[in-house]
Amino acid sequence: MPRPPAIECADLTKRFGGFTAVDHVSFTIAQGSIFGFLGPNGSGKSTVIRMLCGILEPTEGRARIAGLDVAEDTDALKGTIGYMSQKFSLYDELTVSENLKFYGRLYGLRRTALARRRDELIALARLEPYLDRRASLLSGGWRQRLAMACALMHQPTVLFLDEPTAGIDPVARRELWDLLFEFAGRGMTLFVTTHYMDEAERCSHVGYIYMSKLIVCGVPDDLKQRPEVNPPGTRRLDVTCDHVTVGLQSVRQLTGVLSATVFGQSMHLLVEAGLEESALRDRLTAVGIHQADIRPIAPSLEDVFVTLTGRHTNGGQV
Amino acid sequence: MNGLFRGFYAILYKEFIVVLRDRATLFFMFFPPLLQIIAFGFALDNDVKHMAMVVLDEDHTVESRQLIDDFVNTQTFRVVGEVGSVQEMAVAIRRRQAYVGLQIPPDFSRRRRDGQTARLQVLVDGSSSTIALQALNTALGIGFRESATLLLTEAGRDNLPIEVRPQVLYNPAMLSPNFFVPGVIGVALQIATVFSTAMSLAREKERGTIEQLLVSPLSRWGLMLGKLVPYLVIGMIMAMSLFAILRWVFFVHIVGSVAALLVASLLYLFTLLSLGLLVSIKAENHMQAFQMAMVVLMPSIFFSGFIFPRETMPWIFYAISTLLPATYYIELMRAIILRGASLHDFAFHLGVLAVMGLVLFSLCALLFRKRIT
Repeated sequence: MPRPPAIECADLTKRFGGFTAVDHVSFTIAQGSIFGFLGPNGSGKSTVIRMLCGILEPTEGRARIAGLDVAEDTDALKGTIGYMSQKFSLYDELTVSENLKFYGRLYGLRRTALARRRDELIALARLEPYLDRRASLLSGGWRQRLAMACALMHQPTVLFLDEPTAGIDPVARRELWDLLFEFAGRGMTLFVTTHYMDEAERCSHVGYIYMSKLIVCGVPDDLKQRPEVNPPGTRRLDVTCDHVTVGLQSVRQLTGVLSATVFGQSMHLLVEAGLEESALRDRLTAVGIHQADIRPIAPSLEDVFVTLTGRHTNGGQV
Repeated sequence: MNGLFRGFYAILYKEFIVVLRDRATLFFMFFPPLLQIIAFGFALDNDVKHMAMVVLDEDHTVESRQLIDDFVNTQTFRVVGEVGSVQEMAVAIRRRQAYVGLQIPPDFSRRRRDGQTARLQVLVDGSSSTIALQALNTALGIGFRESATLLLTEAGRDNLPIEVRPQVLYNPAMLSPNFFVPGVIGVALQIATVFSTAMSLAREKERGTIEQLLVSPLSRWGLMLGKLVPYLVIGMIMAMSLFAILRWVFFVHIVGSVAALLVASLLYLFTLLSLGLLVSIKAENHMQAFQMAMVVLMPSIFFSGFIFPRETMPWIFYAISTLLPATYYIELMRAIILRGASLHDFAFHLGVLAVMGLVLFSLCALLFRKRIT
């Protein structure tokens, strides 16, 4: 018998009064995936997570976690899922060790089972040096590691993380992702919301929610191949040059250039396929950009989201 | 505990640590009640003694000086000065230099000797009614006693036709602290406990930790009981300290059994803490919890019989007072502490507190939504 998908939802909808926070969202996530859930603030990310965790009742639609209905099988659901909310979800007055003990007890772990599981997670999240430190005195990265360890005390098979890396430093961010990969490797399904494109690129699956609607969902590489992202007769170029921000406006006006966006020290251009590199170079020189380094590139996830968001806003069909 | 109270031990464990580590909360739980009992115990003293009195003696005789002495000897008045006119007397009272003015007219001793009615004028500042009432009663008492003595002499009798022999039970010295302090205990316990639980869930909502509890298998009953028990323990410690102050600072003799006091206090605290939890369930944040708790607590300051006797209240306030846990607790306290009543004597009051507590606690568990809205 095939295993049920880790998460599947169909037409999941949440309305608060006249406001639709989540509008007919449907997707399926296989077990063991790392699902990156992106979207601007207020687009409905947290609302989806709360419905999937069974703490917010959907107005319409259904969702199942490992085969369990989120609205009906709430009790069984609770042992299956772990949730790390957007707000810092630990008790400041408790030490690292006490927080772990509290969350373990909350899920019914006792004595030896509790101690064993706590030791496992302490080792996994490398929390040993901080065991007796109050949670309020931990830095952002360590707080998140502790929060994650707490959410894992009862060995959930699906873990929801609502912006786990918001506001923590790059090193801590990378370490946290290393941990996430480790969990995914053990068969756990991870549902992560984020604003960082580099994090999205690391996910096995991504979804992008915009104005309450899921406008794109799939494997990153597949999404980058979609025709909307690569309109026929166009190609994408990376132009590395000096003063990228200064030249951006004039580059956008050039004949043959369909769009231009700054990426660090370079510009990403979407140009007509017929535009020769030498012709582009001449036009760049004409607007004062000399010695540009031009090379073709594949679209990034950001390109995917920007393109599809634009089509969505313009009323186009995805 | 499994089943109904699932997660109780986890919450109990966490809540005890949080309460004991949060020194500020602990301080604000203990400090106000202690301050209240000390302040109210000393300040709420209805026994008016040695109130300031100015005298306008226009008679200047042995009799008039004897009369002034009679006033002073009651210990109710003390002479703070002599004035030259009625106007000056009125000014002294208006400026709060005196509460009472005694005017003895020039013909006082003459009329008294001649068998006519000798008149005395007593001006009393009615702006503080308790003091005015006592001044008035004492002044009238002096008049009657003097008159009776004169009449007895005239009639050749040496005994009064009627003599009242009052015997004041339970608080023979009629000391105010004996009446007030048990009431203060009721009010003081209430403020500390209701606020503490009212804040505790509101804080989880504000910090977002509530979501973490909601996704767990914790039961509503387990959460409520786990939140309540640590404060019940702290509340009992507080109650015992207040009884100690009652006994050793205000020297109120506790006639009844201490066990009875503790049983009554336990029921009362359970009711109050449930009330606080109920507030916490409805409030979204600290500020709302604080304001709602104030609204809940206000009536009991006025209507619980803490200061004003319930018997003299208009029916609407009396009706309100029957809904307040403090009403029953304060009556219980006075009964046990001053009159040595047993729990059996006041089974009704205990029953009411127990029912209130259970109803409020059940409401907490039933109204608490395991989902966010």
